[in-house]
Amino acid sequence: MSGEHPTRAEDFDLYALGALDDAERKAFESHLASCADCAEKVAAARGRMAMLAFAAPPTQPSPGVKESLMRQVIASAQGPGGSLAPVKPVPADGGVFARWWAVLLPAATAFALATVLLWLHNEQLNRQLADLRNTIQQQQKQLDEAHSMAELLSSKDTVMVSLAPQKGATGSARVLYNSRNGMMMYDGVTPPAPMDKSYQVWLVPMKGAPIAAGWFTGRPDKPAHMMMKLPEGIVAKAFAVTLEPAGGMPQPTGPMVLVGPIS
Amino acid sequence: MVTAEKRAELKATDASLIDRIVQRDESALAALYDRYAGMLSSVLNRILRDTQAAEEILQDIFYQLWRNAAQFDASRGSLSGWLLVIARNRAISRLRRHNPASGDELGENTVVVASNLESSIAQQQLMAKVKSALDNLPKEQRAAIELAYFEGLTHSEIAQRTGDPLGTVKTRLRSAVETLKRDLHP
Repeated sequence: MSGEHPTRAEDFDLYALGALDDAERKAFESHLASCADCAEKVAAARGRMAMLAFAAPPTQPSPGVKESLMRQVIASAQGPGGSLAPVKPVPADGGVFARWWAVLLPAATAFALATVLLWLHNEQLNRQLADLRNTIQQQQKQLDEAHSMAELLSSKDTVMVSLAPQKGATGSARVLYNSRNGMMMYDGVTPPAPMDKSYQVWLVPMKGAPIAAGWFTGRPDKPAHMMMKLPEGIVAKAFAVTLEPAGGMPQPTGPMVLVGPIS
Repeated sequence: MVTAEKRAELKATDASLIDRIVQRDESALAALYDRYAGMLSSVLNRILRDTQAAEEILQDIFYQLWRNAAQFDASRGSLSGWLLVIARNRAISRLRRHNPASGDELGENTVVVASNLESSIAQQQLMAKVKSALDNLPKEQRAAIELAYFEGLTHSEIAQRTGDPLGTVKTRLRSAVETLKRDLHP
């Protein structure tokens, strides 16, 4: 393949996927090194193959990861906290250097100790600062949501829709929706979704196919709450919740769990 | 006032957040983390099936972004795509006990993604689309592409793992990527 363009379009995707065996891969790479056109095609193929990541079941990292990252960032910005200059060796014959050394050694030791203590104190302050910033970010997020909620509740053109369970299902929910700005708030109680399933909320428009409006897995200990920004200006005739494969689907495929028409 | 600023941050593009990281703005890194950590955590956990290892890599990727953001050229490729490629590469390396990737990945791996993944709704919609596209593949094609993507296996390794002839594996993977290309980017 070296020196020649790949013969088939899928070759780029197979390379990006990492499926080519060693010899094929090396030949491909030797061509890529000298072909800007093919390098561009590989960049697009990498993007296409990267989308396969979305087949993974959704998970969230623990909050400690972000805290640790921010601490690491702050610590790196401030450096290791000072370092001592290397000490020259004392001449074997002592003399004036030995006398100076006798004075300087305790001072240097005390200085080093003080430096370490200050550095430790600094680290502790950094950690506290990172914690405080994290708290502020959380509070700002809550404040932002509260602001959106207040705006939604106070707008005269916001509608409230009650969603009732369908035959064989349990649960209930309430949706606040404003078609002018696309804001939607969902609050509901449903049993936990089965493994590998999610509940998915749908806006059913007057015209056209339902629009996905978020998904959740349902928890026994906590009602589901979501604020979503949907496309603006869509006139809804109902909201519904269906049970779908984990992560949701582009269009409803599973059983209807809750539904609420807009009167 | 605070809310307006926060809202602006949520709406900020990846490119503008990268610019702010270059200026050493920690809140921009936090915003990108909030935007993409879930997406990366999912793929890392799927590949590694080890939460601790996945979280180590996740933190390391964002720390690398913090240190080397100036090398990222938003006009050449997408940040979300780059993050996904790097996360997968590192997880596969860990899985196969390869040496960790070098720190020069920001310049090396240009990734062009057709979809804008900067909002969580866009990510959810894409997730549904990918799941649907994979569900539509024949079972053997889906298995082959999952072995390649999530386990980092080559044609020969997949053939060895499944016991299928190499030619069959190659045909399956080629058909699978062709179908996905059509379904995901019509």
